[in-house]
Amino acid sequence: MAAKINNIIRFSSLFTPKHVICQTKITERDELLLEMLRKLALVVGIGDAEDAYQSLLQRENEIPTVVGPGIAMPHVRLSSINRIIVGVATSQAGIKYAPNINQPVKLIIMTLAPKIAPGAYLQAMSSLAKICQYPATADNVARLDNAQKVWEFFDQDGMTLEEHLKASDIMGPVTVKLQEHDTLERAIDLFVRHQIRDVPVIDKDGDLIGVVSTHELLKVCLPDYILWIEDLMPIINFEPFAEILRKESKTWLTEIMTMDYATVIEDAPAAQVAKEFAKQKVDHVYVLREKKLVGVVSLAMFLNKILRE
Amino acid sequence: MPENTAKHTSIRMLIMLAVSASVGLLTHLLKLNNQQVIASAIFVMIVMATLLFWNFRLAIAFIGIGVLMGTNTLDLPTFIVECKIDVILFLVGMMVTVGVLRDLGLFTWIIQSVIKTPKMTGRLFVIMLIFLSAIMSCIVDEVTSIVFMATLVFQVCDALKISPMPFLIISVMATNVGSSGTMLGNPVGIVIGQNITPPLSFVDFVVWSFPIMIITLTVTMFILLWWYRKEIEHLSERLSERREMGMGLGPLINVPYKTGLAILVGMISFIGLHHWLEIKLGLAPNTVLIVAPLVIAGVLMVFRQERARHYIEADVEWWTLLFFMMLFAVAGSLQHTRVTEEIANHFQNAFGSRPALLMPIIIALSAAGSALVDNVVYVAAFVPVVDKLGQTPLVWALLQGVCLGGNITMIGSTANIVALGMAEKRYRTSIKFFDWLKVGLVVGITSCLVAWGCLMMTSKYMPTKQQRLQTAQSHLKPAAVHDSNTIR
Repeated sequence: MAAKINNIIRFSSLFTPKHVICQTKITERDELLLEMLRKLALVVGIGDAEDAYQSLLQRENEIPTVVGPGIAMPHVRLSSINRIIVGVATSQAGIKYAPNINQPVKLIIMTLAPKIAPGAYLQAMSSLAKICQYPATADNVARLDNAQKVWEFFDQDGMTLEEHLKASDIMGPVTVKLQEHDTLERAIDLFVRHQIRDVPVIDKDGDLIGVVSTHELLKVCLPDYILWIEDLMPIINFEPFAEILRKESKTWLTEIMTMDYATVIEDAPAAQVAKEFAKQKVDHVYVLREKKLVGVVSLAMFLNKILRE
Repeated sequence: MPENTAKHTSIRMLIMLAVSASVGLLTHLLKLNNQQVIASAIFVMIVMATLLFWNFRLAIAFIGIGVLMGTNTLDLPTFIVECKIDVILFLVGMMVTVGVLRDLGLFTWIIQSVIKTPKMTGRLFVIMLIFLSAIMSCIVDEVTSIVFMATLVFQVCDALKISPMPFLIISVMATNVGSSGTMLGNPVGIVIGQNITPPLSFVDFVVWSFPIMIITLTVTMFILLWWYRKEIEHLSERLSERREMGMGLGPLINVPYKTGLAILVGMISFIGLHHWLEIKLGLAPNTVLIVAPLVIAGVLMVFRQERARHYIEADVEWWTLLFFMMLFAVAGSLQHTRVTEEIANHFQNAFGSRPALLMPIIIALSAAGSALVDNVVYVAAFVPVVDKLGQTPLVWALLQGVCLGGNITMIGSTANIVALGMAEKRYRTSIKFFDWLKVGLVVGITSCLVAWGCLMMTSKYMPTKQQRLQTAQSHLKPAAVHDSNTIR
C-alpha cells in the first residue's frame, strides 16, 4: 500500500481493510464504538480498549462529532500509541448517533491520535473535508459490501493529509460581524448582546477592512489626556461617555475602527496563528482568502483544538 | 537571545570598543598623559554607548566610572563633586512638580483647550501646536512637553484619521527650539547655567535667550508651514468634514485646572525671582534656583501625601538622572585631567579669540555634535571648553547650537527619540533617517543662522565674564563668598 509520496500521506495509509467493520448489524452507537475499539486493539494494539472507550464516550457525549450528512468522526488521544490509527465502520440501516441529530449515521471514521500530537486529528479530518461535503458519501460507502472496497474508497486521489495543519483547519465561522456602513450604535449592541470584545468589519465584497473592539471604544471615551488626571471627580458621572451616547447612532464605525488586528491567510500553517496570538497579544486571529474574511480563530478555540481535541 | 540579535550586539560592542580605543591611541599620539588618554577613551565610549546601546547606556556608564576610578583617573571626592548633584536635584524637583501638575489635570486642560478651539483649521492647529510645544518646553522640560504634545497630536490625528507623523515632527522641532528659551527647557540649560563661571541666572536666560528663541521659532514655523503645506491642507479638509458632521476632536470634561495653573505660575515666579531672592538673602548664585523646585515639590508632597511616594518613584526618571550623574562625572574627569583645557587651548590657537569668528564655529560645532550625540553628553564635555574661552556670547552660542542642532537628525535630542518611540509603539510605524534629515537640515541650519545673526546683534550688549563676576561678588555676603569659593 502506498503510504508516503513526496511527504504527502494518503488517508488510506492510516488503516487497512482489517480495521474496517463493514455493514454492521449493531444499531447502538456506544456498542459499535466499543466494538470498533476492540477490533483495533486486536489488530494493531491500542492499549486498554476499555479506557479508550470511556474517554471516547465522554467526548462524544459532550460534543457529538457528526461532521457531515450521515458521517461521524469520533476521536480520542491516547498515550499508549505513537501514530495515528484509524478504524472505519459502516451501517446500511444507520444508527442513532445523538439525541439531537435526527439523520442516522451510516459511516463512522474513528481516529486515535497520540497524546503528544497536537492537531493530528484535525489533519485527518481535514483530508476528508471534501468527501464529507457530498450528501451521498455515507450512503455510497455503506452500500460497499466488503472491507477491501471500503478501504479502496478511501484510497482515492485527493484524500491526503497535509504536511502541516493549516489555519483553515482550526478556524470557525465568523458569526458576528459588522458592515462598513453600520453605526457605532450597532457595534455597541453587538458587544453587549454577544459578550464579545472584538467585531470584524467587512465591506460590500466581504473584505476585512478593520476591527472594532471594546478596548478601542473605551479609549475613544477615555483618551490618554483624560486618564492623566488622578482625581476622578471630573468623570465620576461618566461625562466622557455622554458624547458617545449622544452621537452613537450618527457615528460611523470608521471613527473607532482599528487597523491593529491579527490576520493570517487560510493556507498559513496553524503555527502561524499561534505566533500571531503570542506576538500581537490578541484574542482573535482573522483568517483571510486574499482579502476576504473566511473565518476566525479565537484563543480559546485554538487551545481547545490543538491541546484537547 | 536570538542569534541575529547576539551577532548585532557583538558587532556594535566591537565598534564601540574600537572607536574608544582609537581615541585613546590618538590622544596618546598627541602626547597626552595616561590619565588624559583614559578619560578621553572612556568619555568617547559613553558617547558611543548613547549611539549604539541606548538601553544599556547606564550600565556602560557605570562600568566606565569603575575604569576611571580603578585607574586613578578619577578619585572619589572628585567623582562626588563632578556628579553635579545640584543639577540632578533641580531635575528631581521639576519632575515631581510636573507629576503633580499632571495629576491635577493642568495638562488635560491645556490639551482640551486646543481640541475645543472653535473654527480650527490645519494652519491654526499647527501654529498653536508650534507655540504650545515651545512654551511647554520652556516651562517644563522638553521630554515632558513632548509626551503631552504627542498625545495631543495622536488624539487629533486619530480623530481625523490622518497620519500623525508630520505633525509629530512639527511638534518635536518646536519643542527643541523652545527648549533654548529658559534654563528649565532642556537639561543642557541648567548644565550650562550652573557650570559657567559665574553661574547664569533664570533672568539671564529670559533676557539673552528667550527673545532669540521666539525669533528662531517664528522662522521655524514658516519653514514647517511651507514644508508640510499639503498635509496641513489635508488636515483642514478633514477638520471641516468632521465639523459638518457635528463632531469634536475628543471628549471634553470640566477640569478643575485652577490649582494646577496657580502652582505652575507660582513655581515660575519663584524660579524667576531666584536671583533677586539670592541678592536679598545674600546667598550664593543659583542657590534659590536649585532649591526652588525641591521646596515646591516638598510642599506639594505634603498636600498630596498619599501620592508622594508615587511622585518620587514613578515620576522621577531615575534611569536618566543616574546616567546624567555618571556622564557628568566622566566629563568632569576630562576637566580634572585638563583634557578640556587642552582642547580650549587648541581651539584658541586655531581660531584665535575673536567672538565674531568663534561664535559661528561654536554654533556649527555644537549643532553638528548635538545632531550626532545626545546633547547633554555633548554639553557636559564642551561646557568647560567654552567656560575656559571666557566670553559670554559663546555660552549662548553653545546653548543655541545644541538646542537647534537637535532638530537635524532623528536622534538629535531626547525629545526626538521619545516622540518617535511613542509613535512606533502606537502605530507600529517609524520614520526613515533620511526623511527626517531632509527637513531637519533645512530647519536646523536656518534656525542656527538666525540664532547666529541674533547673537551677533546682541553680543555687544552682553556683560563680559569680568563684569558678571564683579556683579556676583558684590551681591554676596562675606560668608557666602567664602562658601562659594570653597565649592568652586
